[in-house]
Amino acid sequence: MPSIDILPQLIVNGLIAGSIYALAASGFAIVYYVMKFQYFSHGAIMSIGAYLFFAFLNLMGLNYIAAGLLTIAGCIIATLLSNWFIYMPLRKRRATPTVTLIASIVLLILTSSLILAFFGSSTKTISLTKYNKTFDFGIFTITAIQISILIFAILLFLFLWFVFKKTKLGKSMRALADNKDVAQIVGINPEKIYNYTFVIAAVFGAVGGMLLGLEQNLYPRMGIPIIIKGFISSVVGGLGSVPGSIIGGLFIGLAENVGVLFLPTGYKDVISFSVLLLFLLFRPQGILGVKMRNV
Amino acid sequence: MYEYLIAVFAYIFIYIIIVVSLNLAFGFTGLVNLGHMAFFGVGAYTSALLTLHGTPWYIALPASGLVACTFGALIAAVTVRLKGDYFQIVTLGLAFIAIAVSRNWVSLTRGALGLPGVPDIIKNNFYYMLFLFAVAFLSVIFIYWLTNSEIGKIFQAIRDDETAAAILGKNTYFYKVLSITISTFFAGIAGSLFAHYINLIDPTIFDLEFFVIILAMLIVGGLASISGSISGVFFVSIFTTAMHFAFTSISPELIGAMRQMLLMLILLLILIFRPRGILGKVDV
Repeated sequence: MPSIDILPQLIVNGLIAGSIYALAASGFAIVYYVMKFQYFSHGAIMSIGAYLFFAFLNLMGLNYIAAGLLTIAGCIIATLLSNWFIYMPLRKRRATPTVTLIASIVLLILTSSLILAFFGSSTKTISLTKYNKTFDFGIFTITAIQISILIFAILLFLFLWFVFKKTKLGKSMRALADNKDVAQIVGINPEKIYNYTFVIAAVFGAVGGMLLGLEQNLYPRMGIPIIIKGFISSVVGGLGSVPGSIIGGLFIGLAENVGVLFLPTGYKDVISFSVLLLFLLFRPQGILGVKMRNV
Repeated sequence: MYEYLIAVFAYIFIYIIIVVSLNLAFGFTGLVNLGHMAFFGVGAYTSALLTLHGTPWYIALPASGLVACTFGALIAAVTVRLKGDYFQIVTLGLAFIAIAVSRNWVSLTRGALGLPGVPDIIKNNFYYMLFLFAVAFLSVIFIYWLTNSEIGKIFQAIRDDETAAAILGKNTYFYKVLSITISTFFAGIAGSLFAHYINLIDPTIFDLEFFVIILAMLIVGGLASISGSISGVFFVSIFTTAMHFAFTSISPELIGAMRQMLLMLILLLILIFRPRGILGKVDV
């Protein structure tokens, strides 16, 4: 059993893992909040982000800024294509949220087989070694990449808060989420706002995918476990609440890492799934969510 | 070739039990159980563990159905009361919890290594395939009879308008739990038959990739139709077998990826353009 001395290190590790979970969860939650379906293909976008970043950086030899921007552009295109060819036709025929959820899981699996066909099943590593210095603060160490993960996550969450609270787009998104019919009466074009929502989710997916790719190896079905963690974070934080999903992500990241004090490291997954089970049974509305109605 | 075709049919009969039982909850009762494969996996693990510890298969087989449906009944009892997406969310979460338990409860399941050496029920594959046919036949007959009985009509009334069914004096809570219990019983039976066929059970049977194949069969065939489910299983299996024989020169890994891609595309097209599938009675 590890000693309590490593607690600061575990908290740092937890915040880093939690930031990536929060990026997965918030993309999932933004779409759920505005469009009311469970957006599992966000995991697909994250895996596309990781692989595109790998391709631009290591296969084509671009510098990391150009590679990052191109990856974001690529993820936006992929997300909009999924909206135009899958989600929009489903909305047109008034498909239930269940159908849209199934379609998004199907897209997730489809993407993993596409990546397998293009890149093969062997794991890939994004090499950024020249930027990866380690800083030692005595009670914990942190790498430059991990610091940038934290910074990017914080910047994106600030950006999201700004969009939601301070812009007309954010107001339209909230109006649509509250009542689509009323929003349309006051002149909001839902399809336009949905496109913007997907673009914001795509940016989160791209950045989340790149950061995930820096923290771990790349493999074709990597989008599945990360969006499961995003889903868990989002349920724990409160489905339908974007700030809740961020809190949920950090909570799951911290619980998994600090839990190492009490359980063997192999039990990380068990911790997050036990947290999910407890929340599903006793607090299905999550930390910040609205209480679900009983029949 | 001969052995391969026997395997194709063996899988078809196992899939028929899974898909028809999922249809009972999803199609006939309107309960979107996204964790159906968790019950299938529970059945498979139960049967594998029991027979590896010396229990004969004719006890392990019904036992796996009973263990699966006990879990099913308990989970349904706490969740079906809640409205909206909640049932979906819990059952999907359940599928993910099943992965974590099977991977990490090493003293019971040996984790990712899985449980090898699950004994055959019948050594000869051809005769086992006939045995699977018999079990699938009986399961389908039972579910067909059930869906046409009074209970089945109540299931469908709940799916179409739960409030109306309640006003007519039906205890909708009881019937929803009953539907999930029966559905998960057959999922457990199918899991047991599967375990004794492939002789090795590991956590990958809980993977989403496996579940979407079952979903594809269900949705391509059509909801609330037994004959639809059977045609869905045949459609997907014939498609998969055809891909196997059509592309013998490509590496198996790439064929697997292409097969999955095409199957997912077909499923997306059905979801968008033909939500009733081949023979469905209601839209997805």
